Amino acid sequence: MKEFLLGKINMDSLPHEWFTFGGSLAFIGLGLFLVIVITRLKRWNWLWKEWITTVDPKKIGIMYFLVSGFMLVRGGLETLMIWLQQSFSVDKSHGFLTADHFQQIFTAHGNIMVFFVAMGFIFGLINYIVPLQIGARDLASPFLNTLGFWLFAAGAIMVSMFFLLGGQYAATGWLAVAPLSGKEFSPGVGVDYWIWSLQISGIGTTLGAINFVMTILKMRAPGMSLGKMPLFTWGAFCSMIMAVAVFPLLTATLFLMFFDRYLGAHFFTTVGGGDPMMYTNLIWMWGHPEVYILMLPCFGIFSEVVSTFSRKPIASYKSNVLGMIGVSTFALSVWLHHFFTMGAGADVNAFFGVMTMIIAIPTSALVFNWIATMYKGRINFSTPMLWFLGFIAVFSIGGMSGVLLAIPPADFQLHNSLFLVAHFHSMVIGGVLFGVFCGISYWFPKFTGLRLNERIGRYAFWFWTIGFCLSFIPMYILGLMGATRRLDHYDSSTGWRPLFIVMLVGGIVIAVGLALQIVQIIATFIQKNHLRDTTGDPWNARSLEWATASPPPFYNFTTIPEVSSIDAFWEMKHNGIPETKYQDIHIPKNTAAGFYISCFAFLVGFAFVWEIVWLAVVSIIGIIVVFIFRGFNDEPEYILTAREVQDLEEARTKKHLERTKLANDDDTEDMGVIDFIKIVISFAKDIVVNKRWRKW
Amino acid sequence: MKDSSANDSKKPIKEHGTTSSYVAGFVLSLIFTIIPYYLVINHKFSTSALISTIISFGIAQMIVQVVFFLHLGRGPKPFYNIVFFFATVGLIVVVIGGSVFIMNNLHYNMTPSEASKHLAEKEAIYQVEGTLTGACQKILANHVVTISGGKVTPHHTDARLCDTLTFINQDSRVSIITFGPHPRHETYSGESELTVKKGKNKTITLNQSGMYQYHDHLDPTIAGDFIVTK
Amino acid sequence: MVNEQTPTHHQAEADDRALFGFWIYLMTDLLMFSVLFAVYAVLHDNTDGGKTGKELFDLNLALTGTIILLVSSFTCGVGMIAARAGRKNQVLTWFGLTFILGLSFLALEFNEFSILIREGHTIQSNAFLSSFFALVGTHGLHIIAGLLWIAVTLGYIVKRGLNSNMVRKLAMLSLFWHFLDIVWIFIFTIVYLRAFV
Repeated sequence: MKEFLLGKINMDSLPHEWFTFGGSLAFIGLGLFLVIVITRLKRWNWLWKEWITTVDPKKIGIMYFLVSGFMLVRGGLETLMIWLQQSFSVDKSHGFLTADHFQQIFTAHGNIMVFFVAMGFIFGLINYIVPLQIGARDLASPFLNTLGFWLFAAGAIMVSMFFLLGGQYAATGWLAVAPLSGKEFSPGVGVDYWIWSLQISGIGTTLGAINFVMTILKMRAPGMSLGKMPLFTWGAFCSMIMAVAVFPLLTATLFLMFFDRYLGAHFFTTVGGGDPMMYTNLIWMWGHPEVYILMLPCFGIFSEVVSTFSRKPIASYKSNVLGMIGVSTFALSVWLHHFFTMGAGADVNAFFGVMTMIIAIPTSALVFNWIATMYKGRINFSTPMLWFLGFIAVFSIGGMSGVLLAIPPADFQLHNSLFLVAHFHSMVIGGVLFGVFCGISYWFPKFTGLRLNERIGRYAFWFWTIGFCLSFIPMYILGLMGATRRLDHYDSSTGWRPLFIVMLVGGIVIAVGLALQIVQIIATFIQKNHLRDTTGDPWNARSLEWATASPPPFYNFTTIPEVSSIDAFWEMKHNGIPETKYQDIHIPKNTAAGFYISCFAFLVGFAFVWEIVWLAVVSIIGIIVVFIFRGFNDEPEYILTAREVQDLEEARTKKHLERTKLANDDDTEDMGVIDFIKIVISFAKDIVVNKRWRKW
Repeated sequence: MKDSSANDSKKPIKEHGTTSSYVAGFVLSLIFTIIPYYLVINHKFSTSALISTIISFGIAQMIVQVVFFLHLGRGPKPFYNIVFFFATVGLIVVVIGGSVFIMNNLHYNMTPSEASKHLAEKEAIYQVEGTLTGACQKILANHVVTISGGKVTPHHTDARLCDTLTFINQDSRVSIITFGPHPRHETYSGESELTVKKGKNKTITLNQSGMYQYHDHLDPTIAGDFIVTK
Repeated sequence: MVNEQTPTHHQAEADDRALFGFWIYLMTDLLMFSVLFAVYAVLHDNTDGGKTGKELFDLNLALTGTIILLVSSFTCGVGMIAARAGRKNQVLTWFGLTFILGLSFLALEFNEFSILIREGHTIQSNAFLSSFFALVGTHGLHIIAGLLWIAVTLGYIVKRGLNSNMVRKLAMLSLFWHFLDIVWIFIFTIVYLRAFV
């Protein structure tokens, strides 16, 4: 009976190690804190109506940022733990982590950074910006979008659930290579948590991507042909097409792995005729394009930023678009370069090696295009531009080492060494993360109506860039010296230790950079009158998202703009902004269906991790029932009349005028870090001395 | 949510089927199901020809259904759905073809026991830590099999362990010798197939005793056997 | 067009988008099947000493299933014509027929699986059977989903009548059903016919 009700859960599943205790406390503590704060502020209703059931892509974008930002901090802590271990676990000392725990940490680090940080930020940006850039009022299917987000959130919780129950995450590396991830070699629940967190968030990604493909193809403003689409939208479009193409492969592969573990099938086992290398083959068929799914929107961001901040149209729009299409096409046929050493013959390795090198061509076309755009431009070195320049440097180094790795004989030496790790971190940090930071600092005025604090932003950029070089250049060298990846212990006679310590120092510098970014955002809100963007177009930008208010109203545009050129807003600014015509607007109604389905999906995953059959059955039925009710709902929209729109717009204009006055009266400067610390101290003093806390 | 001026040019045109198109599709599908079934039941062609025939019929039927049932290409322009369909078909070819290409190549090179045997033979390693690898220490005699005019002479060869066997191809095309009775493909002495180009020859060492059959993969009528005794 | 008022331009566009989105979803589903086909193509010889497909499958049964599914695809198409013409009773008849045919296909498959399992040929036996059950079973699950969808849609049509929203649902449903037929054709060819070559 107990087994029926609780499956494999027993006393041993409860936390009983220092890190699971710590994790659980953080988990429960954070949950309790949020509950108390929300209850105190009586915000439950607001939370439900404004956020949980929302179908507004802008709010969903913000929620993606929050989840991803939180996960970035968690993944960053794991990085520091890895480097701390590697700096101290030499000779007789075995560091503060056991080998098994160390393996779980680097596995979780990989999953969190790729799935819940990079993917989340990218989806957040696409959600917020793409509808605005194409002049759409909302998405093709707002419901699918909420569903996608909440599945992503469910996956993010699932990846942290092991702290509370189970006590172990997968210790298999971020792609859980077979046969190590089979039941025989990984009998615990760690791999099951891995499977289900990826499965749930992966399905969310597929649905979100389908939605954006529909939106971009079918909902562009009148006059905006595919050839006049802004470049970020192009990047997002290529990326979403690729997501639609490869995420189903991940879903199917994960299901097969699940069948192996749960039903005792023999797909990827070493016995019964199974073939572990088939798993490697399938997972990289998804895994390689995944990197480009993250990369392409960032290419788009850089294209926007470099043209805006150089005050020039992009050097060659066509070659930029073709470059992105080329990258996404070739990316589908290079996956074998991840396992050159598997044992396939020379012809197979040669084919995929050549394909991999070919990808460098469209990519470098893009890089040259950006550089050509800067040539003879009047460059404004604001933080977004700084991130772009940092990207060019780091990405070129990473790209070059990538071409090196594409040569099969060289790969036989460098495979699974730290050189490889340094290579892909150059791409993912230098390319994706810098791209996301660039995008966020560029569009922050759009999100909030406030310009980000420029001074602290510069500090953050330099800390990140210098920290990155300190960490990853030694890592390239270590790889060439023969250090393999995923090492938790080594001998001092190898001479690696000094470099590992430099890496740790670099990691700490990056951590300071990340802390500065958080400070930057808080400081921005403290000085909100000073940093208020009164123009609505702080960068003198070129594309449509700047043609509406900042932050935009929930219906995005009062009048849908007509587009006649690539730089639609630039054109508008020069030809005169068309008069506002108020009209009736169809607005999708809020829906909780996405939230409910994701809760059930989470329970399905949880039930399969712990083999609780009844819960799985009940939750699957729950999903089906919600789907039916949602699917046959006849009235998913309401109409906002022209009159109501006009009232809303007038109220907004009035508020805007008040704010502009406040902003004009404020003549302070961007605060620095020391000012910030002073303010925090005086705030804390105020609370203690004046006993403000009593009010709470 | 776009206002109406956007798509005035995209008037919905007749995109739905008529009963007659469904009937035509249905009949064609039925025919394309029955023919391959009949061919398979009666073993009309050789194996490889039959496989490609039935797969072609499968593809033909897919096209029939896509045209007559799904009415692809009759919706409003632009035909994004057609583009997506063809892209998907292309991707499926990459996924399945790529997997088969890679995994076959891997198996050819890497089945552990065969790979080590192959290697032992090539490198003349007779023993590893006291265990014999099965490679021959000394070659005793050589036997010759000639392929010409679509025939193998001699059809049957008797040999002793550690003799060698040479295939000479005097035909005007390449010959791929595989082991086992058609259509099975087995390995012998670490080789799963021997490619003998026209006018060239290939030699294998007979290091497994027993009776073995071989045939030309491209033309299974070219076949023969050999017996290796200890 | 339908017995209620003609749909506005806004709704026509929404319909067009929904169908297009569903089409993309079908493509993703097709890609999922492609993984299962790839796995079957790679692993179908790995019987680990067990019986091969030729010894296990009944080709006549598979042919019967194929024809049933083909007929159901046809009835579904005819039902769709009735739906566009707004003939409610015909819709109920034709889709009801599709439902019954689908159910009998499922029964056939269930029968095949249960015989195999009773004789000890399960998903755990070897890689060949694992990939067989995964491929054919996934198709079966899709058929179950389709049947559920037909049942619910017909229920709503009886309750609410055949409005434009329902026609859109039926259009998606029929796309789904034809799509399952196409997938099955390849299962029939690559799994069943191929085993007897």
